[in-house]
Amino acid sequence: MQIVYRLIVVLNMETIVPHSETIGNPTMSAESDTESGNFPPTNRVAFNEPAFQHSVNKAPPRGVNIQSPANSTPSFRPSVQPLYQPPPSYRNHGPIMKNEAPARIIPIAALNPYQGRWAIKARVTAKGDMRRYNNAKGDGKVFSFDLLDSDGGEIRITCFNAVVDRFYDVIEVGKVYLISKGSLKPAQKNFNHLKNEWEIFLESTSTVELCPDEDGSIPRQQFSFRPISDIENAENNTILDMIGVVTSVNPSVPILRKNGMETHRRILNLKDESGKAVEVTLWGEFCNRDGRQLEEMVESAFYPVLAIKAGKVSDFSGKSVGTISSSQLFIDPDFPEAQRLRNWFDHGGKNTASSSISRDTMPGGGSRNEIRKAVSQIKEEGLGRSDKPDWVTVKATISFIKTDSFCYTACPLMIGDKQCNKKVTRTGTNMWLCDRCNQESEECDYRYLLQVQIQDHTGLTWVTAFQESGEEIMGCPAKQLYTLKYELQNDEEFAEIVRIRLFHQYLLKLKIKEESYGDEQRVKMTVVKVDKVNYTSESKYLLDLLVRSL
Amino acid sequence: MDTSSPSAFVNGALLGRLAGRKVRTVVQVIGSEIGSVVGKTTDDVQIFVRGSSPAPLTTYVEVIGIAESDNSIRAETWTNFGNTFDPQNFNELCKLANGEFKHLFM
Repeated sequence: MQIVYRLIVVLNMETIVPHSETIGNPTMSAESDTESGNFPPTNRVAFNEPAFQHSVNKAPPRGVNIQSPANSTPSFRPSVQPLYQPPPSYRNHGPIMKNEAPARIIPIAALNPYQGRWAIKARVTAKGDMRRYNNAKGDGKVFSFDLLDSDGGEIRITCFNAVVDRFYDVIEVGKVYLISKGSLKPAQKNFNHLKNEWEIFLESTSTVELCPDEDGSIPRQQFSFRPISDIENAENNTILDMIGVVTSVNPSVPILRKNGMETHRRILNLKDESGKAVEVTLWGEFCNRDGRQLEEMVESAFYPVLAIKAGKVSDFSGKSVGTISSSQLFIDPDFPEAQRLRNWFDHGGKNTASSSISRDTMPGGGSRNEIRKAVSQIKEEGLGRSDKPDWVTVKATISFIKTDSFCYTACPLMIGDKQCNKKVTRTGTNMWLCDRCNQESEECDYRYLLQVQIQDHTGLTWVTAFQESGEEIMGCPAKQLYTLKYELQNDEEFAEIVRIRLFHQYLLKLKIKEESYGDEQRVKMTVVKVDKVNYTSESKYLLDLLVRSL
Repeated sequence: MDTSSPSAFVNGALLGRLAGRKVRTVVQVIGSEIGSVVGKTTDDVQIFVRGSSPAPLTTYVEVIGIAESDNSIRAETWTNFGNTFDPQNFNELCKLANGEFKHLFM
C-alpha cells in the first residue's frame, strides 16, 4: 500500500495546556506501528509528555546502544524516527519545498532577524571606505553603506572580506538596489547612528542588484535637521543633522592625532534662525575639499548654506559639531530648508546677532582643551593612574618651596638643536662630565628642579617644576639663586627672595602620571605651565560655571 | 562686615526699580561737571552720579549711594576701579544677584 505522507512543520510553538487528552485520532506510520507495538497508546503523543518521551526513547539503560545490531530490540526504536527518513517523493511537492520565487520586497522598517526571506529596495545614501583591520582572528577588511527606502526606513549594510570584493565596486552612492539575503545583527550604536536597531551583514549567498529604472520615489537623502538652539542641549556624541549659514571659515590647520598620524582641522561658524550660532569642526578630507570651497565663498562675501548629515556633537568647549567619517556635507543644497534659511539670512538674518553655543577659547584664557580640577580631585579621581598622563589645570597658591635643593647642574652641550640638559658631575680636574654626551665641559648650566607645595580650597599637594616653570615661580634664573646661596652665601637675601614668591595664586597646568620607583608607585605631578591668574578671564570662567549649573 | 545698610548690585536697567534704595554700581566715566559725573553703566545706560567725586577718576569707578531715579545716583562712596575693568562680568553679576541668586544677596 502506498503511504501518503503529510508533513506540517510548526514553528514557534508554545505550550498552553501542559497535560491534555490526545486530540483527534493520530496514527503512527505503518512502519512505526509495526515496530512499536509494545508501547502503550499514550506514547504516541509524546510531544505532550516530553519527559516521558525522553525516558522511553532517548535514554536507554546505560551501556545499551540502541543502534547496535546486537541489541536491536524493535521496541526501543524511537516512535518519531520514521519522520526523519524522508522518502524521495518529499522533494518536489509539499509545503517544505524550497520557495524559489523572488522574495517579496518589504519596507526596511519591517526587517527583523526572524524572517527568512526578504528583499528590500533602497537607495544608497552613503558609502564608507574600505577599511583593513587586524584582530585576534587575523587580518580582514570591511566596508559598509547606508540605505534609505521609499518609506523612509534606513539601515546600514556591512560586508566583510570576500563579500567586500563582490560588492564594493557595485555599490554607488545615489543608486537604487534590490538587496536580498543577509543576516540581521543588532546595530552597533557607537558607529551606526541610523534610526534602526538592526544592521545587515551580507553573506556569500546575498544578492545585490542595481535597479536601473528607479522612479525617484526614494529620496536621495533623509535629514532630520535640528536647530542650533537644540544642539545646545544635545548630549555629547549625539549624531545629528543640521543646516545653517556659514558666517566664517578658519584656515585649515595640521593636527597631530593621538596615534601619531597627522590630520587637518578647520573650524567654521554657522548660524540659523534659532538665533544661535555654533562652531563646526571639519576633520581630514572635509577640510580640503569642502572646507576650501566654503572658505572661498565666504571670502567673496557669499555666505553659503551648509547642511551636515550625521555630525557629532562635542561638549569640548560649550557645544560644537564635528564631522565623522560617515558625515556628509551639502553646500548650498537644493532643499526647501536651505531656501528658507537663505531667505531668512538675506532678509535680516545676516545682521542679527547670534549667541554662540560654542566658545573659541575657554573662559579663563586657557586653551580650549583645558581641564580644570581642584587639588583634592587629583587624588579622589585617581588622576595619572591610566596608561596616558592626565593634563589638568589647577588654580592654586604656592604655600611652600623646598630650598635645600632647588636646582641641578646641567650639561650645556648641544645635541642637534637642543641642549642636552642631563645632570653633570664635577670631575677631579674641575670639569663637568656628562654621562650621556661622554664629554667634559668647563662650565655647567643651572636648571631648576623645584619641589613646591601648592594649595587651594580643597587641599594641598606637592608638585615638581622644571626649568621654565621653575623660573616663572621663582622670578629669576636658577643660576642667580644658586650663586646667592652657595657662592655669596647670602642666606638672608636668599630667604627673602623665596619668601616673597610664596602665597601667589597661579593657574598651573600639571602633567600627572603614576610612575614606579622600584616597588613603589608614586603619582608624579609636573608643572608644565605657570600663569598668573587673570582676574577678568577667571571671573568669566567662574561666571560661566555658575550659569551652566543653573 | 557691616550689614546694617546693604547696597544692591545694579546696572542701568535695575537702577529704576530700586529708587530710594541704597545701590552700588560700576560706571565708565564719560564726563564730569561740577557736582556730578556722567557715566555709562555696564549695560550701556547713561546715568548721572551726583556728589563730589574724588580726583582723579580712573576709567571705571564704583559708586555706592542712593538710587534717585532710573538714571541718577546720589553717591556716598567713590572707588577707582582702574582702567581695565571688565564691564560684561559685572553686568552678569548684577543680573544674577538680582535674579537666580537673589537669596544670597541682601
